[in-house]
Amino acid sequence: MNSDTREILATKDVAWERRIMAARRRATLIDRAMTGVMSLAALFLVIVLSGVIFIILRAGLPAISWTFLTTASSITDPGGGIGPQIWVTMYILVLSLAIVTPIGVGAAIYLSEYARPGPITNAIRFSTEALASVPSVVFGVFGAIVFLTIMNLGFSVLSGSLTLALLNLPLMVRIAEDAIRAVPTAYREASLALGGSRWETIRKAVLPSALPGIITALVLTGGRIIGETAPLILTTGTTISPNAQYSLNPLQTGETLAVHIWVLKIVGVPGLQDAQLVADGSAAVLLLIVLIINVGMAYFTNRLTQRLRGASGAPRAGGSKKG
Amino acid sequence: MDASTPSATTMTVKDTSLFYGGFRAVKDINLHFRPHAVTAIIGSSGCGKSTMLRSLNRINDRVNGFRVEGTISLGDQDVYAPTTDVVDLRRRVGMVFQRPNPFPMSIFDNVAFGLTLYAPPKRADLEMMVETALRASALWGEVKDKLRRPATELSGGQQQRLCIARAIATRPDVLLMDEPCSALDPISTLKVEELIAELKRSYTVVIVTHNMQQAARASDVTVMMNMDEADRAGHVIEVGATDDIFTNPQHPQTEAYVSGRFG
Ligand SMILES: Nc1ncnc2c1ncn2[C@@H]1O[C@H](COP(=O)(O)OP(=O)(O)O)[C@@H](O)[C@H]1O
Ligand SMILES: [Mg+2]
Repeated sequence: MNSDTREILATKDVAWERRIMAARRRATLIDRAMTGVMSLAALFLVIVLSGVIFIILRAGLPAISWTFLTTASSITDPGGGIGPQIWVTMYILVLSLAIVTPIGVGAAIYLSEYARPGPITNAIRFSTEALASVPSVVFGVFGAIVFLTIMNLGFSVLSGSLTLALLNLPLMVRIAEDAIRAVPTAYREASLALGGSRWETIRKAVLPSALPGIITALVLTGGRIIGETAPLILTTGTTISPNAQYSLNPLQTGETLAVHIWVLKIVGVPGLQDAQLVADGSAAVLLLIVLIINVGMAYFTNRLTQRLRGASGAPRAGGSKKG
Repeated sequence: MDASTPSATTMTVKDTSLFYGGFRAVKDINLHFRPHAVTAIIGSSGCGKSTMLRSLNRINDRVNGFRVEGTISLGDQDVYAPTTDVVDLRRRVGMVFQRPNPFPMSIFDNVAFGLTLYAPPKRADLEMMVETALRASALWGEVKDKLRRPATELSGGQQQRLCIARAIATRPDVLLMDEPCSALDPISTLKVEELIAELKRSYTVVIVTHNMQQAARASDVTVMMNMDEADRAGHVIEVGATDDIFTNPQHPQTEAYVSGRFG
């Protein structure tokens, strides 16, 4: 460093400092204002969330009782329940997730860990993204053609689950792949350098870190499955046969809670006096199911990450962390 | 350039303990970091050197549960006073991290980052300031033809010197460095050390290092820290002129440490 440079760095440029300080005062105000803006946005979010929960529960809770949750619905007499609808909803949820999760996560692992980066992989990624934004009713039409007409599965829980699995596959792949790609390369290299095979590396060094993201993908997908109507109307139907109300047979027709609400509120059931109340009750139950699943998943993810990473929060013993 | 004042400022740490939640990581620190001198903090891993350093510019405020007891001051300003402007504090107390952390931007934009934060200077001035900082960190010759290239293309040693350039471009009063050479090869290390020796003419420099030769070569004052086995809190064992610490240590632990017998 020559003496000039040294001279410059050793001294404060007073005019420059003054300019910065003036600008800093403004920046401080902007900083505060932005804190306010973000807080307001968060506040708005909280209000909307609690508003939704409050209004749905206020309308629906009066309808909910043990009988309501366990008896069959009626389209003729008041006092019908939603037991079979809850059953079908859970059945389709589990079946769709069971189909979409292994394929979705598998494809995500392939794209991030195996596929050579390049135009082909990018094209696949791009198509997946495009597919994720196709309206669900289009998948419904597709499912009706493939599963009902070609494969002859009829209006059934299976047709619906397959359709919803396909519908959610792109989203699942996108989120899972992002989660996997966000795992630092250093983890892979550390495992490979210890002699880990590609699969062992993925299983023990990559997936544990990606797991919270993958579970997020599952929860989002699950939420969409529970709330979907159009594709199910086209592939599973809107009725539950009275003699197969809690059937495990995937070839039965079915009606999920969301579809039930749609039938009661939109299609209308002339002559059923408590249709609105049953619909509101169903909406409340749907909301509660989603909340319970989310809280459960959050708890599970938390426990899991703590187990995998070593319990966090508690201060570590001195010397355990190389500084 | 306008009328100027000297910039280096004293930092003082008084009766200070540092906590992570309920765990006291560092205790009873009394230190004085002199201007125009390099103070090296040495001591075995986990004795709280980084914690000490990171509390000086309040970058550790970001760690959940981190807490300070005692007084740390920059000149006569109380660093942890509620009225202290943390942003301004960090502008005056620069930091270089253990691992080079250039932004994923061009070399030029990396150095310009701090300079363009509030009142971006005129282009010509900015170019001159960036050049000055790069010259000062002995990187100018190597990068002057590729200022527009991504900083991530530089070697580790170059990246670290770039981070130093970035830190001194805004002309802080104090420069903190946490094992700045631990990821570097010997040649790059030597370059950074020469740089540190130069920088002390302009700044108050505090450097954490695991490298005894580095402490011996590059610093004027050495602080020896160690962990108290009783409560696992780090504390200062001995402070002194670097020459004394290395040739005539008063404390047996310092003696053992600097001669490489433990740590
Ligand atoms: N973010 C943190 N949370 C909890 N404890 C921490 C954290 N960072 C460091 N520690 C603990 O504080 C002590 C000092 O760590 P550190 O300052 O990094 O030591 P050094 O830099 O001397 O190696 C260690 O016991 C370490 O485990
Ligand atoms: Mg450290």
